[in-house]
Amino acid sequence: MIGYYISLAMRSLRGTPILSALMIAAIAVGVGASMTVLTLNYMMSQNALEHKDSVLYAVQLDSWDPNQAADTTNEIPWQLTYPDATALLRSDIPTRQVAMHRFGFTVNLDESELRPFTANTRVTTRDFFSLFDVPFEYGGTWSKEADTAAVQSVVLSKETNEKLFGGENSVGKIVKLNGEPFTVIGVLKHWNPSPKIYDLNNNPFADSEELYIPFGLHRKFGIYSWGNTNGWTSRTAEGAEGYERFLLGEHVWIQYWVELDNAEQREAYEQFLTGHIHQQKEQGRFERPLKFALSAPSEWLVLNEVLENDNRVLGWASLAFLLVCVINAVALLLAKFLRKAPEAGVRRALGASRNAIFTQHLIESSCIGVLGGLFGIVLALAGLTGIRVLAMGQADQIAAMNWEMMLAAVGLAILASILAGLYPAWRISRTNPSVYLKTQ
Amino acid sequence: MLKMQNIRKSYRTDTIETHALRDFSLEVNEGEFVSVTGPSGSGKTTFLNIAGLLETPTGGQYLLDGQEVGNLSDSERSRLRNEKIGFIFQGFNLIPDLNLFDNIDVPLRYRGFNAKERRRRIERSLEQVGLSARAKHLPAQLSGGQQQRVAIARALAGEPRFLLADEPTGNLDSLMARQVMELLEFINEWGTTIVMVTHDPELARRAQRNIQIVDGQVSDLRQTIAQPEVAIA
Ligand SMILES: Nc1ncnc2c1ncn2[C@@H]1O[C@H](COP(=O)(O)OP(=O)(O)OP(=O)(O)O)[C@@H](O)[C@H]1O
Ligand SMILES: [Mg+2]
Repeated sequence: MIGYYISLAMRSLRGTPILSALMIAAIAVGVGASMTVLTLNYMMSQNALEHKDSVLYAVQLDSWDPNQAADTTNEIPWQLTYPDATALLRSDIPTRQVAMHRFGFTVNLDESELRPFTANTRVTTRDFFSLFDVPFEYGGTWSKEADTAAVQSVVLSKETNEKLFGGENSVGKIVKLNGEPFTVIGVLKHWNPSPKIYDLNNNPFADSEELYIPFGLHRKFGIYSWGNTNGWTSRTAEGAEGYERFLLGEHVWIQYWVELDNAEQREAYEQFLTGHIHQQKEQGRFERPLKFALSAPSEWLVLNEVLENDNRVLGWASLAFLLVCVINAVALLLAKFLRKAPEAGVRRALGASRNAIFTQHLIESSCIGVLGGLFGIVLALAGLTGIRVLAMGQADQIAAMNWEMMLAAVGLAILASILAGLYPAWRISRTNPSVYLKTQ
Repeated sequence: MLKMQNIRKSYRTDTIETHALRDFSLEVNEGEFVSVTGPSGSGKTTFLNIAGLLETPTGGQYLLDGQEVGNLSDSERSRLRNEKIGFIFQGFNLIPDLNLFDNIDVPLRYRGFNAKERRRRIERSLEQVGLSARAKHLPAQLSGGQQQRVAIARALAGEPRFLLADEPTGNLDSLMARQVMELLEFINEWGTTIVMVTHDPELARRAQRNIQIVDGQVSDLRQTIAQPEVAIA
């Protein structure tokens, strides 16, 4: 019977092409607009580290201005100072821990045609890869010593390895970074989480880094941060000069994450942090009330407002727009169905129950929904392409529709069209058939 | 076959209440061909609609095939209508954008027959009304008489025991009317009970029995046939 209803529906849609096109367009525009916005919101709310929510924590310490709280959602600076980060690294409580920041190198190869290029680089401790589930194609991470001593090792992203070595196993080869030789010790598989939870501080939707180098190289290369560096006082690292003054200064630029596998470990680590802050207070730092935070990935996404309030509002607005489109479709469907009421009267006389008439018309509106959904996907894809073009590469990851979102679009369209069809289908199934049978 | 006792039907609009049928009692036996006449507005169509389970009476008792149908649900009534009753209307009421084949297919779909059985029945009933060659034509491509024959084929495809015809010849010229009448008589000979509303006294006389409805009630038979002005309405 469903097949019969669908064939009736298609015949009916072909019978009134303009009205059908209008209804399909109403659903398609509504679904296209809301799916554009909802896709963005959905992609922005992704949490690639959800499965680590109970063990992985971003660390924040309140080393900020005694007269004014840090300008963040929890009033603690997002990042740590270098002295604090190195002090925390000495703790052996966490199962794994990462201190890191953004940097950049000019890359070239000896005896190669390749033109030197600037590569986004992550300066990090060795646990980065295991902590954030970064998969290796070849080789692996560096030794523990390299986190504190100047070891010129480098891990390449898959894309960088393709660019430099055509994708072959390049472990053991030499790459020149700012003219200095670095030995390739690992090559990653493709890895590009979005949002970039491990570094929400510098555009959460940017691509992952192209190179990864050990944390022990700061002094040797005079490494600054290419990410955000924030300070609140000019009274900083007294007695130090030049690069040391930057490195030891009272400004925050190091991101810090720890893995704490159970409650005891977490408690021990909180005590350790408390102890560290007390110790620093004795030396005249940390003048604000004692405050630190350990945030799981999902909390971290909320704190950093990756999905901005504006986007939420836009999401609701787009659904309201869809509702307007649905109301339009209701009016059009009602007109169409009532015009076909005599046919429904004949069908009733020939043995169709009210339910059969209702189902037949609801299926007709669902067919409009499916078609509207398909066109809606096309519109949403066009909308997202527009956003990608406008964002000039900054939104490539989020302004993209996966097949789940496409299914959701069709689902939304069917839901919308069923909602739109309910009242008209009910109306026509309830009308007294004899009224339409007397005259024709 | 059909037994109505004290059937009442009133239509209520904002201000007035119309009594379309009142204390309407009638019995039609299996295999009969009954014609129904009466002035316009007397309740003939209302009677057919109640008999065909398209409308529910306001009061009274209706037994179809011995079964009390007053308390049946819409889907039960629809099933009975589909299986036992065939309708023919003055306006033919073919579905304009379906060809003849698909028009006759409609009641068979609701009956739930498989494709093969439906095809068999459609072809046979088109043959019965002499329109086999036109199966793929749309209703608009046929004459009025042919359209009415398709409507009869559609009513017969489900092999109903009971055929209800509301002025089936009302829109036809006398030649075509006679053809349709002959078809109905033929169907009746094969055992289908027929109740036919008509304004044509000659056709009414051809039925085995004629009843007249006046003012929502069955009036005396012989008197009816004697009154020629009934046909004018
Ligand atoms: N849906 C309705 N709402 C209100 N009144 C109705 C309705 N249907 C019929 N009536 C009234 O019921 C009465 C009987 O109508 P019905 O259609 O049965 O007459 P009829 O005998 O078939 O007349 P005709 O010969 O003109 O077809 C009429 O007065 C009519 O106005
Ligand atoms: Mg009538």
